[in-house]
Amino acid sequence: MRRLRALLVRLWGLPRRNREDREFSEELQSHLQMHVDDNLRCGMSPEQARRVALLKLGGIEATTQAYRDHNTLPFCETLCQDLRYALRQFGHNPGFTTTVILTLALSIGANTAIFSIVNALLLKSLPYPHPERMGAIYTRVTGAQPWDERHHLDGEQWELLRDNVPALMPAISGTRPSGVNLESGSHVQYVQSGRISAHYLDVLGIQPVIGRNFSEAEDVAHGPKLVIVSYGVWKNTLGENPRVLGQSVRLKGELYTVIGVLPDGATTPLNADLYTAIQGSRTGEGSGTNFDCITRLRDGATWQQADAQINQAWSLRANKYELDDNPGGQVMYYSVPLQRGETDPLRPQVLSLMLAAGLILLIACANLAGLTLVRVLRRTPEIATRLALGASRWRIQKQLWTENLVLAVAGGAAGVGAGFVALPGLLRLLPEHFLPVASVSLDRGVLLFALALSIATSVLFGMLPALTTRKLDLRSAIASREAIGRDRIHLRQVLITSEVALTVILLAASGLLVRSLIHLQTLPPGFNPSGVMTARASLDNVRYHDGAVFRKLLDDSTSAMRHIAGVTQAAVGLSLPYERALNTGGLDIDDGPEAGRKVLTAEVYTTPDYFAALQIPILQGRAFTDEDGPETQHVAIVNQTFAREFFHGDAVGHHVDKGTLVVGVVSDVAMAPGLHAIAPLATEETMYVPARQMDARQFALLHVWFQPSWIVRTAHPIEGLTGQMQRALASVDPTLPFSGFYRMEDLLAKTLAMQRIEVALLGTIAGLALILSTVGIFSLVANIVAQRTREIGIRMALGSTIREAIVNVGAPGLRAAAVGLSLGLLVSAAVLRALRSALYGVGVYDTPTLATVVGVLVAVSLIATAIPALRIARIDPARTLREE
Amino acid sequence: MGDNDVWQGTLALMILRTLESMGPRHGYGIARRVEQISGDQLIVQYGTLYPALLKLVQQGYIASEWGASDHNRRARFYKLTRAGRRQIEKESQRWEKAAAILACFSSPAEESL
Repeated sequence: MRRLRALLVRLWGLPRRNREDREFSEELQSHLQMHVDDNLRCGMSPEQARRVALLKLGGIEATTQAYRDHNTLPFCETLCQDLRYALRQFGHNPGFTTTVILTLALSIGANTAIFSIVNALLLKSLPYPHPERMGAIYTRVTGAQPWDERHHLDGEQWELLRDNVPALMPAISGTRPSGVNLESGSHVQYVQSGRISAHYLDVLGIQPVIGRNFSEAEDVAHGPKLVIVSYGVWKNTLGENPRVLGQSVRLKGELYTVIGVLPDGATTPLNADLYTAIQGSRTGEGSGTNFDCITRLRDGATWQQADAQINQAWSLRANKYELDDNPGGQVMYYSVPLQRGETDPLRPQVLSLMLAAGLILLIACANLAGLTLVRVLRRTPEIATRLALGASRWRIQKQLWTENLVLAVAGGAAGVGAGFVALPGLLRLLPEHFLPVASVSLDRGVLLFALALSIATSVLFGMLPALTTRKLDLRSAIASREAIGRDRIHLRQVLITSEVALTVILLAASGLLVRSLIHLQTLPPGFNPSGVMTARASLDNVRYHDGAVFRKLLDDSTSAMRHIAGVTQAAVGLSLPYERALNTGGLDIDDGPEAGRKVLTAEVYTTPDYFAALQIPILQGRAFTDEDGPETQHVAIVNQTFAREFFHGDAVGHHVDKGTLVVGVVSDVAMAPGLHAIAPLATEETMYVPARQMDARQFALLHVWFQPSWIVRTAHPIEGLTGQMQRALASVDPTLPFSGFYRMEDLLAKTLAMQRIEVALLGTIAGLALILSTVGIFSLVANIVAQRTREIGIRMALGSTIREAIVNVGAPGLRAAAVGLSLGLLVSAAVLRALRSALYGVGVYDTPTLATVVGVLVAVSLIATAIPALRIARIDPARTLREE
Repeated sequence: MGDNDVWQGTLALMILRTLESMGPRHGYGIARRVEQISGDQLIVQYGTLYPALLKLVQQGYIASEWGASDHNRRARFYKLTRAGRRQIEKESQRWEKAAAILACFSSPAEESL
């Protein structure tokens, strides 16, 4: 305690050092004087009195020094000196300082921005109370076809989990919110609606500010129509009415009673505007695995107990679908923290980005090490002089490290600034609701990370120069004029070799991703995407559960749209090319070579003009016509893949689904696969059926999952087309707004969003790496030129040509780049295999990509070498010799 | 030098005792008093006195302020703080104990041999 106090007093004394010194010398003087006075009084002569006093009291200078050392902290004092000196040094070398700080700003900025996403996704705990007691359930299947992923529940599993697992409080929700129309008064608003079970909000630990959660009695099939609204909807749509409970709102065409309002800022994994009870059962939606599940461990229970109870409960199931295509396998269920469950799909991408950003930092360190090395070597005479004058090596080391640290901290601050600027841009790249977290911010954790990064960087790039001064030979250092010896150039070559190698890896990786994206974007679509405008509307409305009303809506609205001037075709389809389609399982193949088989297919209902509007070629048979109605023979059109897989190519005239006649085969279109997720864009077995022949009982569920699209093809671009489409729809149903308008390019971009983000981010990082390597090569050659001006002048005076001199000087840079390039290619061959799962239509060893990488690096190295080397042409041998 | 080590450690207590009995005093006065009490066996130099004073100030046992000496010279006066008074108690006990133990060693009782 007393020691701490003393330390604080000493720290406090630092800035007031000069005054303290003055006062102390005054005190000593008065002490001496009093002693002399006493001596005089004892009868000594004035001279003797002073001499005796001085002798007795000891050296004044030594005392002053000892006093000062005790009064302040000598360590801090030299630190302040070092800091001041460092700042002066940087002021004298603005070019060096700017290069270093910019390099650090870019590399630390990139790391900070990406780390803030890692932080928000993987490190920061979820914004709920006791997040460690929240879980998600995973399934692990072993056997011939093992898999291990988050479990989706069917109704049977939900009931067993709810009733037979006392260790957990479980809750389910729909897999994603769906767009619905909320009517209040004359106003129709399109909002995102999530469907949740009783206790869903309890699991999250969210308590409504007004009202209550759904009760178990209300969360049953055909239960009451109730809604809990978010704070935003309550404020903006319901007028902040404090007596909102019990009020009715018209949602999906039906009256729902408001029973609760969520707190301001409350988020759920669904992130919806309002919530209705999911009322899950074993039938309907619950006959398939369509529920997402979250759990909370009850007080006193352990996760081991919970897992045991889950496995026990689910072993009682009638429908054990997990082993359908994996006979002899073993199924095991286990809980993982909810955080992991929510972020698992993004983890590999995020971590590989972080890795790429780490590589950038390494490259930056190599560059900075080279730069600081040169700078320290240039200062060799100064350092040698200081050593000769008696400075300790420790003191010199301290000075150098202080400078590095100052640079790193300044660069780190600039990096945090750069990250602060880059992060919003980075987040804008991502589609909305892409990250399962409410916000990504530069919080304390990120700042600490940036600080640690800066310090680690300073150690990394400061180590090399600091080590070289330790071996400094004083005599030769003072005598020598040559600042950098050959071995130092070798050292820098090694640095450049390694950074070029890292750059090659990053460039090759981003090159491959670019090639994949190009491949995906230029896949033959199978239809004509230009000149098409589509609009989506939610038919999740009780009015359209009636088949006749539904058919009338489609007929009248498409006919109204066909009357818009310039529109050549209008149609409706449940889903579009480039999108994910509805998956139908257990479809019977009635006849043909595969008769009796039950298959899985994509299914799309369409109006007759769907194929004409999208210009999907009909290869065999016919398109749908207005004659294909509810009362006539049920028909279907299949795509090529379907025909090939299930009818060996000859599908027309055969039957599927107990009596549906296949009347045509159409060309395959590119779509987001829902059955086998092997690529972001592919073709799957697809069956098209007439919208007019749909069983109306399916609509309730179908239109919760999918919003059908209206498609118009125009002969030429039309001004205000979307407004006219909206009016055409309103002429049939004024309460039905379109939720959005999309061109086919928009849909393609949305489907390939992940690939575009990967390309953009990795491309940026690879570009940064290229810039850093270029700077590295450039500064190496520039330094060699600067040091060897004298030597080159003499050589030229002796008859060497400029060409020879340029080659001689540029060679070290080019050699380093060449070795780095080959090394990088070798390492890439091993490392890039990890990318395989992210590549489509391009192999890991892709010649065009590798050739481009080599070409770019060769060009860049040549330029970076040539620019400084050409300065040699300006060397005047006569002047150099005179300077000698 | 061995002698000096011992008395370095005890100087703090001597200074505190001096200030306790004499009231506020300047550095020279403290030095003279310590020398007098020790029967001029001890010689207090600048180099030992002032670092010791500074340390006591930093620890908060004494405080200092500028004033005028008996002969009207400007001098820095030191005085005991409340923490200093408490410290005298503690330190004295510690030294008495140490001295007692040492005494046992310098004149060991016969029976223990």
